[in-house]
Amino acid sequence: MIEIRGLSKSFVGQDGGRVQALSDVDLDVAENEFLTVLGPSGCGKTTLLKAVAGLVPVDSGEIVVDGTKVRGPGPDRAMVFQNFALLPWATVLDNVAFGLELRGVGRAERQERARALIAMVGLAGFETKRPAELSGGMQQRVGIARALAVQPRVLLMDEPFGAVDEQTRRLLQEELLSIWEESRLTVVFITHSMEEAVLLGDRVVLMSARPGQIAEIVPVPLERPRARSLERSGKYAEITAYLWDRLRDMHEEHRAAR
Amino acid sequence: MTRRGHLPYQLLTFVIFAVSWEVYARVRGGLLIPTFTETVGASVKLLGSAELWQALYASNQALVLGFALAVGVGVPLGIVLGRFRTLERFADVYLNILLVTPMAAIIPLLGMSVGYGLAARVILVAIFAIVMVVVNSRAGVRQVDPSLIEMARSFGANERRIWTRVLLPGALPAIMTGIRLGIGRAVTGMVLVELLMVSTALGGLMLEYRGLLKAPQLYATIVIILAEALLLISVARWGERKLTGRSVR
Ligand SMILES: Nc1ncnc2c1ncn2[C@@H]1O[C@H](COP(=O)(O)OP(=O)(O)O)[C@@H](O)[C@H]1O
Ligand SMILES: [Mg+2]
Repeated sequence: MIEIRGLSKSFVGQDGGRVQALSDVDLDVAENEFLTVLGPSGCGKTTLLKAVAGLVPVDSGEIVVDGTKVRGPGPDRAMVFQNFALLPWATVLDNVAFGLELRGVGRAERQERARALIAMVGLAGFETKRPAELSGGMQQRVGIARALAVQPRVLLMDEPFGAVDEQTRRLLQEELLSIWEESRLTVVFITHSMEEAVLLGDRVVLMSARPGQIAEIVPVPLERPRARSLERSGKYAEITAYLWDRLRDMHEEHRAAR
Repeated sequence: MTRRGHLPYQLLTFVIFAVSWEVYARVRGGLLIPTFTETVGASVKLLGSAELWQALYASNQALVLGFALAVGVGVPLGIVLGRFRTLERFADVYLNILLVTPMAAIIPLLGMSVGYGLAARVILVAIFAIVMVVVNSRAGVRQVDPSLIEMARSFGANERRIWTRVLLPGALPAIMTGIRLGIGRAVTGMVLVELLMVSTALGGLMLEYRGLLKAPQLYATIVIILAEALLLISVARWGERKLTGRSVR
């Protein structure tokens, strides 16, 4: 579904030098796969996701989504943002319908579709509220509904639950799993939580920093549909422990290198 | 609701102010300081005179034209400066000059270049008001969360949609604040130019009353100008609330 070949991207850093955010990244994501991406902060996870979204131009390499080379944002991909990125002056309904509006869907139809999605993410009755009146978890539900409303084939999520409290985060994880079970979207999900990466992902991509590269891809052979009770299984504990070992090694390598 | 809650306090301070004025004027007395009651009386009388309405009309001509010019140029300019940082490098110097120049110093230059007619008054009003409009519009665009622009782009927005659906709605409250603050500055410019440059309209009237030592009339004219400014600012504030759906103080 997504093929990334030899992707490199550097930025001009604050000191004027170049910061290599991604260096020669190769990655394949299968159709209907739930891929989680884990790595220390600054290792290029967001850059990778934005490159797939078509939001940042890359220096070299290419990204092919569903057979078409990515040259910019497209209707096959939708993004969910860590800070929600909701229009503060617009109602929940208008926020959810925003992607449809930008894609030229007529008012009646987009409102109908938005209402259905608002109900699906459990926000029925909140259509006329503004983001400031909602909790963080509810705001991210709006963000998810907005992305799903445009019926993408690929859902790109950048630490979507990083800014919500622990209980809400657990609820949202379960809801996302059940949405994905039904829709079978292809999901690329960035997180800095090992537990989250394992609970949600079919595979966990471990990235390492400076330069941003894929260190390892760890398969998660846990049965689907997944339930919370999985957290007590030996396999789950084994994979999270392994990921933690690797992350700690990276951290120490990085310290030694400085 | 807060506005209504303020009213008793505003009335109270006004009463204290009026009484202090009255007492001070009566005790210190003199030809040049009218009492509060004399001033009120003169205001009422003036409001019934054709002379005042002609002066108001003439002054407001410059005010309306100059202010419209300031908004018409200032809002787009501020928005563009807010969005395109590189332009800003060129414009910043001039904006700072506009901010710090004592405006009265511009008057002789203006007189020399466009004469002492309506054009000069309009331009001065515009120069007075435009700084507030530009600076606030620019700040408004700049404080729009960049991740909203990114979000809109990710859903396929082109530059035009980013402007109409993200930047302008996001900047609107600040733009309206700039317009409101600009009104106050425009009134200042209007009076100043008539006092210092072309002795006409309200400013001319004030100079005339001063020359004739008609203190109550002089004070009354100032009161009327203040009342007009307050009225305009209230209208702007009301419009601001209507447009942005937020409470404005
Ligand atoms: N727009 C940008 N300008 C300059 N440097 C950037 C920009 N975006 C990201 N970077 C740099 O690229 C590196 C990777 O960033 P990012 O992809 O945000 O990492 P992550 O999401 O894994 O924390 C970091 O060193 C960051 O400072
Ligand atoms: Mg990031």
